[in-house]
This record gives sequence, C-alpha cells and structure tokens, in this order.
Amino acid sequence: MARSPSLHVAVIGAGIVGAAAAHFLAAAGARVTLLDASGPAAGATGASDGAVSVASKRPGPMMDLARHARAFYGKCEADGLLRGLFHRRSTFLVARTALEAELVAQHGTDLAAAGERVLDVDRPALLDRIPGLGDGVCFALEIPDDGHALGYEITERLLQKSSVTVRRNAPVSEIVMRAGQAVGVAVQGELVPADAVLVAAGIGSVGLLGLGDILIPRKGQMIVTDRASAGRPAIDGHLMAASYLAAKRGIVRDNAHIGLVIDPLVTGQFLIGGSREDHRADQATDARTIAAILRDALDLYPPLRERRVLRTFAGVRTASCDGLPIVGPHPHLGGVMIATGFEGDGICLGPFMGASAARMILGEAPAADLSLLAPRRFAGAEALA
Amino acid sequence: MNPCFYWIDRPVSFRPGETIAAALLRVGIADLGPDGGQVRGRVFCGIGACQACIVAVAGEGPVEACLTPARAGLRLSPQPSLGLRHD
Amino acid sequence: MTDLPVLVVGGGPAGAAAAVTMAESGLRVLMVEQRDRLGGAIHRQPVAGARQIWKGPARHRRNWAELAGRVERAAGRIELRTSTVFLGVDGEGRFLFDDRVAGGVFARSVRAAVIAVGAVERIRPFEGWELPGVMSAGGAQVLLKETGQPPEGAIVVAGSGPLLLAVAAQLAQAGNPPLAVLERGRPWRSPRALARLLTAGPQLTEAIAYAAALAVKAVPYHAGSEVLSVRESGEGLEVRTRIGGAERLLRARHLLIHDGLEPNRAGMPLPAPEAKIPVFHAGDGREILGADAAILDGRRAAAAVLASLGRAAPVAQLDVSLSKARDFQLALAEVLHSPAALPSPETLLCRCEGRRYADFAALPADASAREIRLMGRFGLGVCQGRFCGPMIAELLGRPLPSANPPRWPLRPVSVAALAKFSIDETES
Repeated sequence: MARSPSLHVAVIGAGIVGAAAAHFLAAAGARVTLLDASGPAAGATGASDGAVSVASKRPGPMMDLARHARAFYGKCEADGLLRGLFHRRSTFLVARTALEAELVAQHGTDLAAAGERVLDVDRPALLDRIPGLGDGVCFALEIPDDGHALGYEITERLLQKSSVTVRRNAPVSEIVMRAGQAVGVAVQGELVPADAVLVAAGIGSVGLLGLGDILIPRKGQMIVTDRASAGRPAIDGHLMAASYLAAKRGIVRDNAHIGLVIDPLVTGQFLIGGSREDHRADQATDARTIAAILRDALDLYPPLRERRVLRTFAGVRTASCDGLPIVGPHPHLGGVMIATGFEGDGICLGPFMGASAARMILGEAPAADLSLLAPRRFAGAEALA
Repeated sequence: MNPCFYWIDRPVSFRPGETIAAALLRVGIADLGPDGGQVRGRVFCGIGACQACIVAVAGEGPVEACLTPARAGLRLSPQPSLGLRHD
Repeated sequence: MTDLPVLVVGGGPAGAAAAVTMAESGLRVLMVEQRDRLGGAIHRQPVAGARQIWKGPARHRRNWAELAGRVERAAGRIELRTSTVFLGVDGEGRFLFDDRVAGGVFARSVRAAVIAVGAVERIRPFEGWELPGVMSAGGAQVLLKETGQPPEGAIVVAGSGPLLLAVAAQLAQAGNPPLAVLERGRPWRSPRALARLLTAGPQLTEAIAYAAALAVKAVPYHAGSEVLSVRESGEGLEVRTRIGGAERLLRARHLLIHDGLEPNRAGMPLPAPEAKIPVFHAGDGREILGADAAILDGRRAAAAVLASLGRAAPVAQLDVSLSKARDFQLALAEVLHSPAALPSPETLLCRCEGRRYADFAALPADASAREIRLMGRFGLGVCQGRFCGPMIAELLGRPLPSANPPRWPLRPVSVAALAKFSIDETES
C-alpha cells in the first residue's frame, strides 16, 4: 500500500464524486482539503434525480460500471457509511407505442446480457403495482434490483463521516505545477499546497484543464411536486419512459426532446424530468419546457393531475464528447487526477468512482477496470496532448 | 338554504362568496388533519402565503382553503402529512 | 409593443393606486389579484349576508372608496383578472399567471410591472406554534372582516406589534374579547421613541380607539409578556406564558400570533428600472409603511413606470410623506424592540418539512444558502421559505440570499393547470 502519512490531496469540487474521493482518501490516512467554488452539492449533485439505476444505462461499459457502482452503494449501506440513505426499488421501463415497445424489449435483452435481472410485467400486474398508470402504456419491463439515493444526502454523509477539511466559496483558479508535478492549487491568490490534485469539478473542470472541446454542458429541467403520500414513495417503483432510453442510447439527439422519468421520492413527493439541452450551462427553467414535461408525465401517469408543482429547477450535466466519463491520471500533468464527465449518471456512479479515484491517487488499482475511462484516450485533443 | 361542500364525509354549509377556510372555521373545524399527522393542516395566514391550509380536492389539484371560494358539492379532505423521514 | 399593458400584481391599496394612476395617464393596465375581488388584506370586504362588525377608521374607508371608484371609472383601460395568481417570470422572460377559475397557466407580454403584493407576517417560533388552533393575528383579522364572526371559544393574542391591539379590539367588538393580549415589547423603556409616536395623528387616534375597545371589555394588555410554548389539551390549547416575569398557564381554543410584518418578496422579480421590462415594487411589499403610505407608494411606482416609458408623470410631494411614514415605523420598531431569543431545540422552524431548531443548529456554521435549503430542507417546503426564511435570517443575523436565478412558480401550481400552458397563447 502506497500510503504516506504525509500525503496531502487537494480535491477540487465538492459534488458527490469529489466528496466520495475525499472521504475515502481521508479514511486511508491522507490529509484532504476539499475545495468548492460554492459549497457541497452545489452543482449537478444537488440538482438531479436520485436514480441509482442500471436500467437506464447505455449498453456496454456504462452498464457494467453501473452494476459495480450500485453494488458499492449496497455495500456502503450495509457497512453503515450510507445507512438509511440508499433504498432498493424497481425501475419500470415503459413503452407507449409499438416502436417504443421494440426499444424497451431490446434494452431488456441488453440488460439481461449484462447479468441484470429483467422481469416481464403484463398490464394487469403493472396496474396492480402502479394504480392509475396511463391507458397508453402497452409494454413494460421491471428491473427489480435498482435503487435510489439523494445526491446531496450522500455528499453530506460522506463529509460528515470523515476528517476532510471543507473549504466553501473557494474557487480554484489554477493547478500550480513545478517541474511537471502538481504542488498545489491557487485559490483567490492563495497557494494551497498539495502532493496530488483531483479535479472533480464537473463543468468547472473545463476552465481548469482546458477541456472545452471534450466536455459540454447539458442542462436538464426538472419538477418537484407536493406529497402524494406520507413518508413513503407514492408508487412502487421508478417510471422510466422509452423516450429516456432513446436519449441514453443516443437514438435521439435534440434539445427539445424530453426523456421522461417519474421518480417517486421517499418523502411522498414526485420528481419529474427532464430535458436534455446541449450547450446550456444556465440553471433557468422555462414554462414551455416544463409544461411539455408535465403533459408527457400526465399522459404516462394521470394521477399527477391531483398534484401541485412546488418547484422547478435545472441541473447542468457534464457530458464528454464520446459519452463516457473521464476518470484517471492526467496524461501529462504529474500528480493530477481527473474524475468528471458523468453526464446524468453521477449519483449512480459517484461514490464508486470517487472511491476508485482515491485508490488511484494512493497508487492502488480500482475495484473495476476503468481503463476505458482514462483521460489519455483524448490525447489527440489539444488540451490533453 | 345555504349550499354545502363536504369535509371528508361531513357536509359543511357556506354563504355564497365565502372561502372554504371561513366556512370550515365557522363550524369549528380548525384541524385540517390528517389524523395523527406529524404536522397537521390549519388555517394560519389567511393570504395564501403559508400554505398550511391546503386541502385535497377530489379529482383536482389541492387548493388553499383561505383563497378559494367554496363551491357546492366540492369533496375536500386532508393532504398527506409529513413522513417520519425527516423527523 | 407600445400597446402592451403595464402589469400590476396585487389589488390592495398600493396596486390599485398604481393602476389608476397609470390608466388615468393613458396607459393600458393588466391588474391581477389572487382573490375574487379587490381590496387586499386591509380592505377585505364582508361576504354577502355577513355582519360588518368593525368598519375601521373612516379615512381608510374614504381612501378605499375613492380608489375603488377610480378603478371602476378607468375600467376601459384596466383589464382586471381576479382569482389569478402571479407565478413569477420564467427563464425565457415570460410573466406567468395561474387562472384559478379557468384552471390554466397563461403568459402575458407586458411593458413594465408594478409588484404590490403586500406583507407577510413575521413569526417568532415557540414549541407548538404549528398546532391547529394557532393562527396568525393577521389571518384571523382577514377572516373576521370577511365573515363578521369571531372564532368561538377563548382566544389569546400574543407576539408583538400594533396589529395585536387592532385584532384584539376587533374581536372584542365582534363579541368575543380575548382572554389577554401579550406584547413582547416593553414600550415604557423607550420614552423618546414613544414620544415620537405620539406625534403621529391618525395612527394615534386609531390606537386610542382600540385601547378604549379593550378597556370597555376589560381585556388585559400585558407588555413585556410572551408565549413560551403551547400544547394540545383536551378540546383546546394549553398556552404556557410569561406575564410580567411570572409563568402562567392559559387555556384557550385559539392562539393568535404575530411578530411584525415583512415585505412579501420571496421569489419575486427584483426592481430593475434599467431592465428591458422594468419592475418596480410598491406598498408594504416594498417596505412596511402601512396602508396610508401604500397608496402614495403605489402612485410613486406608477410615476416611475411613466418616467421609464418617457411619459410625463404626475409630480407630487410623495417622498416627504413616505419618509414620515418611515419615521413612524422606525419609532414603532424601537418602542417594541425585544432581543431575539434562541428557540428550544424541539421548536419547529419549518412547518412545511417538519424541521426543528435542532436541525438548523446541526448545520455547519458556514453552511451556504444552498446547503441550508438542501441539507437543512429549510425553504424547500410548500410555503417556499416565506415563514422559516425570516426566522432563519433572524437567527443568522443576516438575510438568506434568494435562489439565483429566481425560481418560479412563486406559489405551488396545479400540475394540470401548468400542463395546459402553451406559448401560442402568450401574445394577446
């Protein structure tokens, strides 16, 4: 174990990934300073749904990694770290047209091939589980082993249960290099010395590392309703429309496309999403988009007509140009590790990827093969060349 | 005879033009439930700001009792209370 | 563009004054009011058949009758939408409204906006303030004006501010005098400020009339007294109080509380005279100056709109009168000032999400506004921080920064109503 008692790591970005990395680094004995331009969970982590879902992943490495990541949640829940914050629940993939049914069936085949349990549910069984479901739903699959966690709660717990120094309102302007090796980060003219630097700053990573060609912001608008039930999810599973799978599988790329999910929160409220607006980094919401999401949601689940909208909000996903996260050592900057580009999968992947980045910083192998995510794949791009 | 709406199953008569809140309070219904809720509904600010007097309307979205004129035949009931989660 | 209306949100004295001033100067006005008639909280009219028990000071009635008459005469220029809730401005700059009668959300293009949505009451929380049977004094007053009927059973009025006196007197007049009025402040300790108050003519006359109404019914008014906690007991409430240094239990059916007023600004578009669509605030929603000043402030806002559109505005000595009203409010605040006390750990701060003072105290000392919202769940509930926001600001000693960008909807809105929104209807 390359564990130096004096190792000091600066982690940039107090979202779920940065908080997880900081937590596990500190747990391994490192001294950790976690810096955020705002505060914990201030970015996409605090403005997202809480799906810890394998069902939603694109077939291939993302689906496999999501299975590792979800299992990691289960382990952290069992060992006490995340006790009470991770809940198992089903995801229902639902189709409303014959074409959508084909897509859902194909996705089910891909999930099964990845080792995931996939259950057929006929309409009567489905109505039994989700009373009131729209008449248009003609085909559905149940993915019974998915889960739910709230990004900001996970972030808070990871920081609570660690000795990490958190610095709020501490925007990092530069990674300070000496002789090809990171020696610290600059915060408002102050040098915070460090032996290693982890960049987990979401869309903020673009400015720090010059990744403008590689990372793009993708805004998502969402809705939170009032409570439909007291202190438990109002329906027995997460509703994921085929339109969401179509976006995740790259079949549809259109800023006006709604990838519909209806997420029953443990508070009894619903979280409904969402739009996928490329190159939009603002957090504004608009009535045009929100109304379109709600119309689609009412069609899928008409009992929402008895709910009120409490809030609308937008989160900015950080997507990479090849659709895979960027996790691993910077190809040229010594002592600099990157963990970003999780798009809409940060809550699911975050704790596992943070823990993996921590292991890499400590010179250990991550618990899964992350070589496909290594930043060196972009070595052709100017910023990482 | 004054028209009436229903609070759970109880008919509540009201004067035309009166809010749901006024009619409920006049017959002594101050506790808008639910029974045993962690925090129960009640008319509080009278101007729609506190949202404590929200009542469920069968088939429609819930409304503020203090802002909404009573209508004959409305079927009203308590909104779900908070769960145990954040207590 | 020049034919677009100016938006006025709120049909109380400030909104009505702004609307008629602009309409009489030739502008088209779109006036929205959440209730089914104008008047605001101050001029709430009794429903048909209800007894009007308290007519209020004659000058208020005269002022309102005059404004209401002018609104009627300007009906050709004022489009009045009642039962319509302003939802705020969305990320594409649309002014959004919830038509509660038609059950649909619509947008309207406007050339400027005057926001005159009045005040919300401040509450200093204590254990049990969230219970049924506890109402805000202002809320009880509005209901009393509408129904002409006081709540049945014993009533305790507590907190701080001149409204306690007014509500208690009106309840007495209506036939149910309160058991007691508990005023937290100790006016006699600020003789100078008290002397300043005594120079205010109309307000003083009003206060004397209220005091007389209480004296006639022998309602005790205790200064330097407060509610410590309240709990349910049988059919009513058991109110633990401190009156003149001694603890006393009072049994009541209703406890009416109030600790002053706060401009109702949560989530509102902020004043921006240079913006493409300039926004101005008016009345108690801008600054708590009372009903008389609200009329002047509405005219001031209207003049500002007219000026921003390059039109001649009626000139008046408004600033002098407003600054007099401000002096009065400052003296009142000084007279009734009482130091903030920390609530007990079990005291609810956020009734919507059931969050207690202990939950707030557990947040990191340097927690950001976002952490207070997300991890504390303060300001995340249905009232959108209108009540816990000021409580937390008082505990922190600084205001909580509002969400950026401003959030809409300002008020919860039916899913079905918002789903009906379409941009085809935006321009009209």
